[in-house]
Amino acid sequence: MQPPRALWVPFPLGRPLGKPGDAAFQLDVIKTALKLLDRSEGPVLEDYPHDAPPVEAEDVAVCPVSFGQDSADDDSWKSRLNREISQLKPWYELSCRRRGGRTLVGIADQLPEQNIQTLAQHLDEDVLPADIIWMKRAVEDIKAYYVEAMTAQPGDYDPQALQTQFWQETSFGAAVLALYHEFSSSESGQMKLIARILAPREAVGAASGPKGGHTP
Amino acid sequence: MVRLAELPDYEREHLLSKNMPPLGPAVWTAPIKPVSQMRFALVTTAGLHHRDDTAFEFADATFRPIDGQENPDKLVMSHSSVNFDKSGFAEDVNIVFPLGRFRELLAEGSIGSLADVHYSFMGAGLLPAAYASSAAQVAGMLKRDKVDAVFLTPV
Repeated sequence: MQPPRALWVPFPLGRPLGKPGDAAFQLDVIKTALKLLDRSEGPVLEDYPHDAPPVEAEDVAVCPVSFGQDSADDDSWKSRLNREISQLKPWYELSCRRRGGRTLVGIADQLPEQNIQTLAQHLDEDVLPADIIWMKRAVEDIKAYYVEAMTAQPGDYDPQALQTQFWQETSFGAAVLALYHEFSSSESGQMKLIARILAPREAVGAASGPKGGHTP
Repeated sequence: MVRLAELPDYEREHLLSKNMPPLGPAVWTAPIKPVSQMRFALVTTAGLHHRDDTAFEFADATFRPIDGQENPDKLVMSHSSVNFDKSGFAEDVNIVFPLGRFRELLAEGSIGSLADVHYSFMGAGLLPAAYASSAAQVAGMLKRDKVDAVFLTPV
């Protein structure tokens, strides 16, 4: 973008101010950037000298729901996903209360509990969703529901561990990867592009394949 | 923006493979007044908007104005990329849209004032030239708002 003044920060993508909930650290990042406005010559590109405050090991939250322990007879996507989101529901509600009603869920027109049923039906019947905008918004809403529930416990959490848990241990993560593989295996370039807006490259590379349900 | 050296291999290779030419001559404005007298606006590429605004499309060069008087906790995100962390924003809007922090700077007298309106783009899926018209519109609005400096937060 070639802005006249830029502060290059060593934080993960999605966290340009460093650490959520740490007002003092965020203010230091901002004030360091604002000092660049005093420079009389440029363009300026300067490194921010501090890493984000680390997550202390004893503070790392343990997810309130145990994933991957499903031993029920019915291993359909519908059954697995319904059980999972039902387990998460009280934690999502706790998250909403703890955050004063703040939630990122709501981009899709229908509730996550309804959308997860529809997605499960597509997977169980091996029929890809035709309404891509609906699918994308449904997936993002349900992901937000899961992340907010999984981080509802007090204490710190490691965002990388959270991502690993979501994509490798939850049935919904496996469901999205199953959809990803269906779209990406198509010969259509358009379908391959759709796959890329469903799952991150990191998750696709790390996954050993979808668990449970009707594996493609 | 995280350092390239600290990105996972696949992400670093993906970004480097873009190999885009520079956008053009770098712009420069010398200091015009002390920071404590400047009027600031926030501009983000995080795909933020209010719940009842139109969500961003998968590739979308439009922008959403964000009223400076509204509660930023009500903002949601419809960024199409799945390759960055969104859990931080779920926890704290200031991590990508630090309006709360700038209000604190204003209260302590570190900055002069805040714009009436801030702006959100969704940075994914398009080459920079696609944003030229929207960017020019926002630049015009910032001038009308008498903004001296913009704090940009990419994700």
